[in-house]
Amino acid sequence: MNTAYSSSPPERLIELSDVYKIYGEGLESEVRALDGVSLTIDRGEFTAIIGSSGSGKSTMMNILGCLDLPTYGEYYLHDELVSSLTDQELSNIRNREIGFIFQGFNLIPALTALENVELPLIYSGAGRRARKDAKDLYGADAKLMTSRQELAYAALEKVGIDHRANHKPSEMSGGQQQRVAIARAIVTNPPLILADEPTGNLDSHTTEDVMRILRDLHAAGSTVVLITHDRDIAASADRAIRLLDGRVVYDSKRDGDDGSKGDPLGSTGDPLGAEGRASA
Amino acid sequence: MSILQSIKMAAKSIGSNKGRSFLTMLGIIIGIAAVIILVSIVQAQQDAVMEQFEKMGTNQIQVYYYQWGSGGTPDYTKELEQLCAELGPEKVIGITPQKYAWSNSVRYQSKRAEYPNIYLASDKYSVCSGYKLKGGRDLCYLDIQKMNRVCVLGSKVAADLFNYADPVGKKITISGDEYTVVGYYETKGVSEEYGGSYRDNIVVVPYTLEKRINKSSGGGSSSYEFVVKAASSDTVQEVSNRVKAFLEARVDTNQGYVDVYSNDQWQQSQTEGFAEQAVLLGSIAAISLLVGGIGIMNIMLVTVTERTREIGIRKAIGAPRRSIITQFLIEAAMVSTLGGIIGMIVGCLGTVVAGKLVLDTIVAPPPYILAVSFVVSVAFGVIFGVYPAGRASRLQPVEALRNE
Repeated sequence: MNTAYSSSPPERLIELSDVYKIYGEGLESEVRALDGVSLTIDRGEFTAIIGSSGSGKSTMMNILGCLDLPTYGEYYLHDELVSSLTDQELSNIRNREIGFIFQGFNLIPALTALENVELPLIYSGAGRRARKDAKDLYGADAKLMTSRQELAYAALEKVGIDHRANHKPSEMSGGQQQRVAIARAIVTNPPLILADEPTGNLDSHTTEDVMRILRDLHAAGSTVVLITHDRDIAASADRAIRLLDGRVVYDSKRDGDDGSKGDPLGSTGDPLGAEGRASA
Repeated sequence: MSILQSIKMAAKSIGSNKGRSFLTMLGIIIGIAAVIILVSIVQAQQDAVMEQFEKMGTNQIQVYYYQWGSGGTPDYTKELEQLCAELGPEKVIGITPQKYAWSNSVRYQSKRAEYPNIYLASDKYSVCSGYKLKGGRDLCYLDIQKMNRVCVLGSKVAADLFNYADPVGKKITISGDEYTVVGYYETKGVSEEYGGSYRDNIVVVPYTLEKRINKSSGGGSSSYEFVVKAASSDTVQEVSNRVKAFLEARVDTNQGYVDVYSNDQWQQSQTEGFAEQAVLLGSIAAISLLVGGIGIMNIMLVTVTERTREIGIRKAIGAPRRSIITQFLIEAAMVSTLGGIIGMIVGCLGTVVAGKLVLDTIVAPPPYILAVSFVVSVAFGVIFGVYPAGRASRLQPVEALRNE
């Protein structure tokens, strides 16, 4: 899949080096959610992380998203060691470097679609900054052109949900809510988009819509990491990484993949693959 | 995130749960209203009493002595006047004898005054006891010296006998003798609670006429009374000490009695009583305010728990701890301030109603208590919001997002 870009060395975005996440370490009930994971993801990749429940894929998502820190091991994002960052720096990274898309949408119920999408801009002060930059360029009229609302509205437009901008989440269908959530994830223009079972609560029709948006984002240059238990969904991605009991058991990039959308998992005869298919 | 944004968010959150927000405010509303009403009423009561004290006369010293045995009580009027003159006008404004005589036979033609108090006094009586002349003239030094049969009437006696006609120059009879009315006083305007019309129901005659008025006592006085008016509240104590020392040196206390008593002591104890009352009532109101504040903290903690997921979402999309703290602090402060403002309105209305019921006048809360109430309600929101806000900000995003 990287053949098209092989003329220049790919820029590394994510590097996990021997990462462990252990709950209740030393106790009898010790759980190793991640048990020595090492992997790298380059900028511009569309990667699916596949695993059944309990495989550690949610923990993986939390660590990749800087929502949680590994017990052992090192996680470099943009060549920066995440565990060495302060709370404020982590907040900034989550705000500017990462766009989250959750299974349960995670919109704030009291806010309208537009307000939900505005939130990351409020926290980053982006609207203000944009206004200031624009003011320097265009003078006093500039605030008409670059308000925070406009940035948020543009993001809603991009995912085709701008007509529902002033509706609250409770007034929207699941597919519409997930589009708003995607708009929120992309409004700060983050290099990394993390989608955790983004279609888990959606019907097959809207699932296709959401996957198309993710593919479009990837095509536009975003790095997308998709976490799913569903092999069919994972097939949209260029690269598949399979987790089992907190370990990487398969990586299409490492283990050799012909780049086709074939079924790299079927060959292992893994019953979990069947399970994933059944529940989809 | 700007403060303006936080305020907008807080307003939205309060508005989305109006019923609960109001119940949360109720503690603060009641607390602030109670403080305002109690402080205003106590203050108004205190002001009213102080005003009465002013009317009754301040800086007065009552002097009383008697002695039994042969010769009766010696007369030290001249000596006391001499002493006061020596103390000088910067300490003593004046001294007058004030001897009480009773007569139910004060008449003008067919009209009779109702049990007036007849005071045998000097020309300094109005100065010492705080009466103002309304018409005619006051007693003068010559009236005393020449034992002129003249008198000055209190407003009630004047009204009883002359019914608003001018009494000056008329002759009234006291115990059968004729006296010329030379003047009459304004009403003191003291409320009934503090003596009232009793203080206007007076007739003042020169003390040198004592033998004529108190015919029954047949000469020598059994006791002497004086009123000394000190120059200011600072000199009251000194003057009364001097007078007391003077009399105790002359009156044999084994065979008599000396009492020198200042109004100020009584007024002071009254005022202290009010201060104690204010502190007591204020404390009760403050406790209800405190309970209101704890109510806010309680509800904010519930809110944090309820909104754990929201906090998780906010953190996931990049809200730093500072923003979460600000958001919840401002929310608490807004609930509390809003409650405070409603409480101030309720308190002002309540003060008017309570003033009408308790004191029968219109009472306005003093401005300082409104300013204090506002500051306290803002401060309470912040103080009682700190703990819930801190808790919200310390939530781990992963844990918070896991919360369904």
